[in-house]
Amino acid sequence: MANAEHVIVVGLGFGDEGKGAVVDALCADGPVVSVVRFNGGAQAAHNVVVGERHHTFSQFGSGTLAGVPTFLSRHVLVEPIALATESRELAALGVEDPLGLVTIDADALLTTPFHVAANRAREDARGEGRHGSCGKGIGETAWYALLERRGAVAGDVVEGQEVPGTPGPAPTVGDCADPKALRRKLDALARCYGPLIGDGQSVDELVSLYRAFADAVRTTSGDEVGRLADTGRLVFEGAQGVLLDEHRGFHPHTTWSTVTPDNARALLGGRAARVLGVTRTYQTRHGAGPLPTEDHALLARFPERHNGAGEYQGAWRAGHLDAVLLRYAVAACGGVDGLAVTHLDAPTSWVSTAYWADSTRCVDLPDRPDLTGFLTRCAPELEAMPDPVAWLEEAFGLPVRVTASGPDRADYSVRSPRPRRGAGESGHGSAPNRVDVGVGGRARAAVRPGGPRGAAGGGTARAGAVRR
Amino acid sequence: MGHGSWDDNAYAAAKTFRAAKGIDDFGYTSAMRGTPSAKWKAAPSMDPFGVTARECRDSPDHADSTPIAVLFDVTGSMGSVPKIMQGKLGKLHGLLQRKGYVTDPQLMFGGIGDADSDRVPLQVGQFESDNRMDDQLRDIFLEGNGGGQKSESYELAAYFVARHVVTDAWQKRGRKGYLFIIGDELNKPRLEARHVKRVIGDDIGQDVDPLSVYRELARKWHVYFVLPNKSSYFNDPAIADHWRDVLGQNFLKLDDPGAVCELIAATIGLEERVVDLDQALVDLAEVGSAAESRAVGKALVQVGASAGALTRSGTPPMLDGPDDVALN
Repeated sequence: MANAEHVIVVGLGFGDEGKGAVVDALCADGPVVSVVRFNGGAQAAHNVVVGERHHTFSQFGSGTLAGVPTFLSRHVLVEPIALATESRELAALGVEDPLGLVTIDADALLTTPFHVAANRAREDARGEGRHGSCGKGIGETAWYALLERRGAVAGDVVEGQEVPGTPGPAPTVGDCADPKALRRKLDALARCYGPLIGDGQSVDELVSLYRAFADAVRTTSGDEVGRLADTGRLVFEGAQGVLLDEHRGFHPHTTWSTVTPDNARALLGGRAARVLGVTRTYQTRHGAGPLPTEDHALLARFPERHNGAGEYQGAWRAGHLDAVLLRYAVAACGGVDGLAVTHLDAPTSWVSTAYWADSTRCVDLPDRPDLTGFLTRCAPELEAMPDPVAWLEEAFGLPVRVTASGPDRADYSVRSPRPRRGAGESGHGSAPNRVDVGVGGRARAAVRPGGPRGAAGGGTARAGAVRR
Repeated sequence: MGHGSWDDNAYAAAKTFRAAKGIDDFGYTSAMRGTPSAKWKAAPSMDPFGVTARECRDSPDHADSTPIAVLFDVTGSMGSVPKIMQGKLGKLHGLLQRKGYVTDPQLMFGGIGDADSDRVPLQVGQFESDNRMDDQLRDIFLEGNGGGQKSESYELAAYFVARHVVTDAWQKRGRKGYLFIIGDELNKPRLEARHVKRVIGDDIGQDVDPLSVYRELARKWHVYFVLPNKSSYFNDPAIADHWRDVLGQNFLKLDDPGAVCELIAATIGLEERVVDLDQALVDLAEVGSAAESRAVGKALVQVGASAGALTRSGTPPMLDGPDDVALN
């Protein structure tokens, strides 16, 4: 990957693709000015292993062990208490002054103990119908911020959730340096949530804690990404996976966050960047929601050291690589420039290239509102996939830029662009291919999955027009 | 919300942020150290002079308040212990809540010095039920002197708690509070009227036998003396004998000063009959280190073994000093 280019790393699954380790590998590979978080919040759990050191990155960027600072953009939901905990964990790993590596946009929303408690109270009340929330107040933070804009009042139902009391303006990171403004907003927040969670939390205490937080981290306003981009290369670290995106995911099993590269592109303000989509060699997800290729046998074969059942998230699940979902995810990103493929050490040998539903075979998700229901009842058609990297390069016409055959940084390899097989075919050879699979009103291009080899010669799985 | 783990995390977070900014955990002490000793004084919030009463009151949120006062010796003989205490005690509230050993704990912290030789021989904060107790701890002045006579003004602290603390627990429910004195030396032979006058502002007319002060104190408080390791007289039998005379089995030796929170929590759990010693140690092993749990176990063996014989209102034995404090 050309060193000067900014890179946007997004997960093409339901999270847990290995974005953190990919970001770490990119940061270790060449000079990077900053990692920029452009979505999500403290629920992110990006595992990075460097030799003896392991950390699950949550709010700190995954480039931290490579010494790269983090910028939390205004699209990130910031939870100071968890940030402090993570800072202590990093200090214990030998990172010097971790909080000194963090800069935060003053407009970023604050996730408070009120949001966390409300999130858990609501998820508990759903019982069996749990959404698979992480229980960290992320959705609640985004939701509360909506209320004032929508002019909601107590008792209204906004986005399917009841407003417990009278809402006020949402507290931001910038407010932390202004105890008066902060107290006003926290008082309103506490009053609003009182009917749902009681009034056990002292606002005074939070005000003084957040004041200390504001003293300890650098906050900025305006175009910090622009300032950083002018000094060198940025790596944008996405949280969660595109299939959980608030707009493109499968409701209600989605996150209150724009997971696609849209925020990152907006932050870049037209500066060039490449989008790197991350996928495992198989499909995973945490908690409830559709997973068409799910195969319980895979779980036993690939136990996860750093992924288990979360109290609020639910079970850890696995299935075969799902090219239908992968294509959908690439489309949701508006195309990607390359892939990162992780878990090559996990010898999966099957991929789903099409679904059967209602006696019909489809290679793309149908254009319909009830995708969640469709995915729940469709039956995947599996075919053999002896070499995932070759298969993906062929089927998607995209270069695989990063490969990983284990959890350690040493298992990650950042590949230089190189001519690929079939380079004579249109668009196959040169690096900056972008596959546009026709999102947003454009005609959806037919994507024909072939066998791993069989269709390779026949313009396989080329999707739509190639553009730069 | 308001749960122990949240309190602990918030406490730790505040500490992390302060450390990142370079504000240390002993801010007041650092500030005082930068001034001539003639100007040393207690932080206003910690100064007992002229205080009518520190109050531990019920509130709508905390309807059944339990007063817990922890006063620790800050003189030089305690070595590094006061710093360890100050660093750890902020966790106490969260620990008590999480374990459910007492209802609505409210904590007050203070520092004890030597009225004969120290500028700041007594400091007493307020009862708090949230992380403001963290600020209180940071405001305790670790003067670090002491007199070298193997005695400190514990009796002055005892007098303050006996006379200048009022609690709803006692006034409304007849329930005793908990007082933990953490130190390593003897009481002064007399509670001197001039010290009471200078430090607290009361005119008591004449000097008083410390034993009578502890007897008065024991009416409303469960009183414990904790002798932590890393202090000067940990192995001096004279200290143990002295405090056993004053407080009976409520004299506790603690191997690991870092386990002070756990010891206090377990002691209260035992006294409240919420747990037995074995369960308390299991609980502690869950939250603290194995070493801390072992230290607490060792300290409490005596209390635990005779827990069945403890009476809730038991007056410490051998309080036969002259009862010349005018009891209210």
